[in-house]
Formats: sequence, structure tokens, C-alpha cells
Amino acid sequence: MTSIGTGYDLSNSVFSPDGRNFQVEYAVKAVENGATSVGIKCDDGVVFAVEKIISSKLLVPKRNVKIQTIDRHIGCVYSGLIPDGRYLVNRGREEASNFKKLYTKPIPVSALADRISQYVQAYTLYNSVRPFGISAIIGGIDEDGSHLYMVEPSGTCWGYKGAATGKGRQAAKAELEKLFDRSTDGLSVKDAIKEAARVIYIAHEDNKEKDFELEISWCSATETNGLHKFVPENLLEEAIEYAKEQLEGYEEGDSDDEAASSDEEPATGDADGDVAME
Amino acid sequence: MNHDPFAWGRPDDATYGRYNEKIAYASNQPTTNTTQPIVTGTSVLAMKYKGGVVIAADNLASYGSLLRFNGIERLIKVGQNTVVGVSGDVSDMQHIERLLEEIETDNNYDNTYSESFEQLQPSYVFKYLSAVMYSRRSKMNPLWNAIIVAGVENGAPFMRYVNLLGVTYTSPTLATGFGAHLANPLMRRVVDREEDVANTTREAAVETIKNCMKVLYYRDARSAKSYSLAVIDCETGVSLEHGIEVDNMVWGFAKDIKGYGTQKV
Amino acid sequence: MFRNNYDGDSVTFSPTGRLFQVEYALEAIKQGSVTVGLRSHKYAVLVALKRNADELSSYQKKIIKCDTHMGLSLAGLAPDARVLSNYLRQQCNYSSLVFDRKLSVEKAGSLLSDKAQQNTQSYGGRPYGVGLLVIGYDNSGSHLLEFQPSGNVLELYGSSIGARSQGAKTYLERVLDDFLEIDNVEELIKVGVEALKQSLKDEDLTTQNLSIAFVGHDKSFTQLDGDAVSPYL
Repeated sequence: MTSIGTGYDLSNSVFSPDGRNFQVEYAVKAVENGATSVGIKCDDGVVFAVEKIISSKLLVPKRNVKIQTIDRHIGCVYSGLIPDGRYLVNRGREEASNFKKLYTKPIPVSALADRISQYVQAYTLYNSVRPFGISAIIGGIDEDGSHLYMVEPSGTCWGYKGAATGKGRQAAKAELEKLFDRSTDGLSVKDAIKEAARVIYIAHEDNKEKDFELEISWCSATETNGLHKFVPENLLEEAIEYAKEQLEGYEEGDSDDEAASSDEEPATGDADGDVAME
Repeated sequence: MNHDPFAWGRPDDATYGRYNEKIAYASNQPTTNTTQPIVTGTSVLAMKYKGGVVIAADNLASYGSLLRFNGIERLIKVGQNTVVGVSGDVSDMQHIERLLEEIETDNNYDNTYSESFEQLQPSYVFKYLSAVMYSRRSKMNPLWNAIIVAGVENGAPFMRYVNLLGVTYTSPTLATGFGAHLANPLMRRVVDREEDVANTTREAAVETIKNCMKVLYYRDARSAKSYSLAVIDCETGVSLEHGIEVDNMVWGFAKDIKGYGTQKV
Repeated sequence: MFRNNYDGDSVTFSPTGRLFQVEYALEAIKQGSVTVGLRSHKYAVLVALKRNADELSSYQKKIIKCDTHMGLSLAGLAPDARVLSNYLRQQCNYSSLVFDRKLSVEKAGSLLSDKAQQNTQSYGGRPYGVGLLVIGYDNSGSHLLEFQPSGNVLELYGSSIGARSQGAKTYLERVLDDFLEIDNVEELIKVGVEALKQSLKDEDLTTQNLSIAFVGHDKSFTQLDGDAVSPYL
């Protein structure tokens, strides 16, 4: 980043001479320091999982929920500045509500992802605002089946089979790729819950010194009647057990995979910054 | 006096204030909003029993005296232990349906206890609806309905009425429209006072409501044979049954009725 | 000399993705006097150290009631806390007027978070310069939240914010398992006062500078000041 400090990175909506928008790139940095989130798309639904770093033993377990619902059939999880994510979800809820008022049916996932990404993009255009410091994974079920999208601070929006963002995204992406290579004849949401847990546990390996709590939600035609819900306690426990089991094998087995994530930038920000992030 | 040549002879703005043009262009008719319902649903009946509430409404929407639409559902389930019964204008009812769906969706947002401690209760739903009804009537633009909210809350039956005027009240038996005249006296034979609720079984209440629906079908020209009936019970929750038909009707007397219609007396 | 170019407003990210203005706002909390919050399964308690500008002045209020079941204590800019507590009061009123329902503590936290976030994403304003400890007793029991100007809101068993608050936090962590089970409000207050003492420097607790509040399953939000706090000194 040669142009840093030359003045083109001090204001949003400004291009540098080589055509970059630095404030957006810096917003991506905020995402890259955030806790890992993943989303998995299956034939009959989607699964979301997120790592919640336990910064104090005074925190109440199972509270401080991160995954959110938009309308009833869409879930959203994000990494980066959590309050930014909440704001974006509120906007998504308004869009969903407006859509339903106008068309008297629930908003399709693709339409919602599209509207949200346009909103995020608008925050890269003006110097009176800053870009969103989050990457949001949005997914759910509509009349055409299950869908999964990820929106980045630039407003970019891609559809995914498996999406990962946050600190451990590289390890998580590698695992998701292997997962989809393996499951050629499809993946059920129940299996995806276990796999999502495993991916988060593996992604957490580089951040081992910090304890974390796992949060998983799903939206499935067969299991949740098309509604986005947190997974029942017993399934969560089962998934965590599976993840821990698999992790032991992982640690002994393919240590070369861990090298993939070692080229990551070192964590920036002091303890306070960390709190603001998580 | 104003000496501007274009407004000569008119009262001076500085003394009398600017002339309000709206007065000159005012319509001959007053502004009106809804002054009568168009497509309507008839009575809603509800009564308490020990441990719950029974509520019923038929499946007809009338256009004046024309029995226009069949298969209309006028009992709306909200959350896990509330049913809202709506009589009156059907398009306003559909608007209310959307409002209820919205508060139900909103209640699930950022609410970890949405299915336990912080689920929607009938009292919340009722307060919301009565606030809407009163605010609309205060804007001189009422929703033309009479509504009964029925449910269970804190292990006890809940039942309350609100109408287009924003008037609310409760009683161990409730009925809107024609039912208030015909069904209430019949229901009160079973549950006259709050104390009688404890001595009334679910079966007795359902039987009473079914009987009242039959009486209404006999005597209310805007009613239909097919109706929905919901029981909201402290133990078993909501059971909503659609398309129940009035049965065991006796029409033998009809041939003896003289003096109406086209037959010769 | 090194000069930070990225800390002038809340719409500029630093190259590492930080928002310095927001982080500075977090520092403002540490300028305020200390306050402690904790909860057991039946009660939630706030304890706060009040400051006065000089000998002749009165003490700055640290605890604000929002509704019969909810209240908060503050550390940092008191005027900002008044803005936020007024907002909570409005929301509590709205909830009881329209839904005949107590505003849940969780919802209150979300509302505060969303309000604070707005100040961190647009030019011309500043983030709120105050931290809050919100306590309440709602349908799901007693709760304690910590609010930060960044818009982060956390639910905790115990917390402390303000000058030298680490001492109180460490103490609370140590006695966590004990105070969770307390079902007597006086006992819980005593734990809170003891925690507060861990964060004092040279001041002594008096009836003048100690403020206490509690709420619970059989008690609406109650604040103790002046002589009423003497049993806990």
C-alpha cells in the first residue's frame, strides 16, 4: 500500500491516483480482525455459525447473541464492527417489511441481498459517511429454494455454497472447499450444522489462547418449516462434540494446511480495539 | 384598506392578516373517510371456561345483503396463545391481519426469549389493537370493525372486546354484532358471572358456542352454515378448526310460516 | 513529530481498520467516577461513587431511573447519559402505552446500541462519551447490561466502568460463584459496595458520595442516597 499517508486515504469516496478507494480497503481490515463467521448452503436450507470470543468470565453464557433474523425466513451473520452489522440488519428488516407491504409475500433472498448490497455501496460514495465495517453473510429459504450471499464493505455481493469471513476466514474457506469436494451427492442441513461447527473450531486454532462460544442457526424447509431459528440445544452440543473430535484428528494429520493461514496480517489494535471489534 | 391596484378595496393584509385562499376554493362537501363498511363479516362469539376460552366466527363475507364470499377466515392466530376474531369490514380486517403479522415478526427480532418469557401475550395484542382502533377513530378515519381478542395468559383465560370507536370492555361471555343480542343471553345461561367460569368445562363451552352458532344461522340473514372455532387452553394451547358446519337443523316449521316472500297466504 | 491523521472524525478508518474517535470516546468513560453493577438470580444492583466539583458544590447524580423495572448508572459525560436515559424512558413509555408491556432489558440494550451506532457512521457528530450499566427485572428475570459508545452492549453477571474500574472487576470475577446465588438484596448490595471499594484511591465512602440502586423479583427500581446508604458504609 504505497499510497498510504499521501493523503488519498483520509476521506471516503476519494480515489487514489492508481484508482483505489482506501477507506473501503481499511473497512475490510476491520472485518479481517473480527470474529470468524461462516455460512453453508445445502439443498434444503442454510446454516450459519459464528465464533464468539469470551473476553471476560463475567459475560453471561448463551446471551450476547450475534446471529440475527431478517423477516422470518432469512438469517444474517457478520464479522467486523458488530454495531454496524446491527444497523445493516435493521435496514434489511425495513426492506423486507416494505416488500411484504407492497407485494403481500415474503421478500426473496436474492432481492434482499441485492437491496442490502446497494445500500452498503451507497456508503462508499460520500465523504459524510464511512463504509460499513462488516462483511455480512445473508441466507435463507424462499419459493425457489435455499440461497446464500455475502456482502462486503465495497457493496460487492456474491452468491456462495459456503462463505467465510473474519479473522479465521482463510482456514475456514479451505475447509469449506474440501467439504464441498467431499460431499458430491449433497449435504443435509443436519450434517451442515456439524460441519459448520468443525469449520469454526478449525478457524479458531490460530487464536487458541482465547476461549470462545459457538453459536449456530439454521433455516430449512424440512427442519424448521422455512423459518430461521437457532438450532436446538441437543444438536448444538452434538455438533460441538463432533467438532472437537474432528479437531484432534486435524491436529495430528494435516499440519501443512495450517501454513495456508499463516500469511495473515498480525492482529492489530489493543485490547480496547478488540472489544470494539467483537 | 389595501391600495395595491390589483387588490384595491380589499381588507389590508397588515391589519387583517393574509386572506386564506383555501376558504374560496373549499369544496362544497365536507371531507369524509370511511362512513360505512362495504364487505362485512357478521358476529364473533367467545366465552370463557375453566382453563381457557372458546371463540367462533363464520366463514362468510357479505356485500350488503348479498352473501358474496365464502371461505373467509375471520379468526386470526397470533403468537402461541392468542386468537383474534374480527367482525365488520373485511378489507379493514385484512389490514388488521397485516398489522398483527408485523408485530409477530417484530417480536422475534433480537429476542432470545421470543418463544418463552417474552412471547406475545393476548393482553399485549389487545392493547396494541385498541391503541390502533382508538387512534384511527381520533383521526376520524376508523377501522370499521368489532374485535374480540381471546387467549390464555398466566394460566388464566383472557378475553376482551374493542370496536371502531375505541371502546373496550370484558365479560365472561362476549359477542359482536347480532350475536350480542342473540347469543349473549344463551351463553349467559351457562356462564353468567366470573365465578361461573370455574364450574364450566371445555366441552360445555364448545357445546354452548356451537349451539349459539346454530341459533345465529337460523335468525341472522348475514350468517353462513360454515364456521371456524378455536379453543385456547392453558394446557394444550391453540386448536383452530376450520369449516365446521351447523348440524341437526330442524326446518319442519318453515312450511307453516306465512306472510313473507312470494307464497300465497 | 508523529501525528495521527486518522483520528479527526468518526467517518475515517485507520489503515488497520480502527475508528479512533470511537476509541477515544471509550477513554472518556475512564475519566468518570467508578460505578459497579452486579446481579444474582433474583436481584440486580448498582453501586456508584459520586463526585463533587469542589467542597461547596453538590454531588453529580450517577444513577437514573428509567421505569419501575429498569434504571442505569453512568460513567463519563453525564449530559450524554441524560440523552440516552431520556430515550430509554420514552421507549419504556411507548412499550407500556402501546403494548401494555414492560420493555425487556434485552430490547432496551438493542435500542441503545442502535442509537449509539448512528453517531459513529456519519460526519459532523461525535460518539456518545459515556458508558452505562443498565439493570432491570423483566419477564425473564434480572439482567445487567454494559453499554459502550461504540454501540457494543454486553450482558454480564457483574461489571464495572469508570476510573480504576479494573479493581472492582477483578473482585467480582473472584466472588462470581457466590453472589450469583444470593437471594437477599442487602447481601448483594454489600458485595457491590465491597467491589466498589476495590476501585477507590484515596477517597472514603460516605453518605454523601455513595449511591445505590436495586431492582428484583419483589422490588421495583429503588434508589438509595444520603442517610439511606449508611447501613452499607
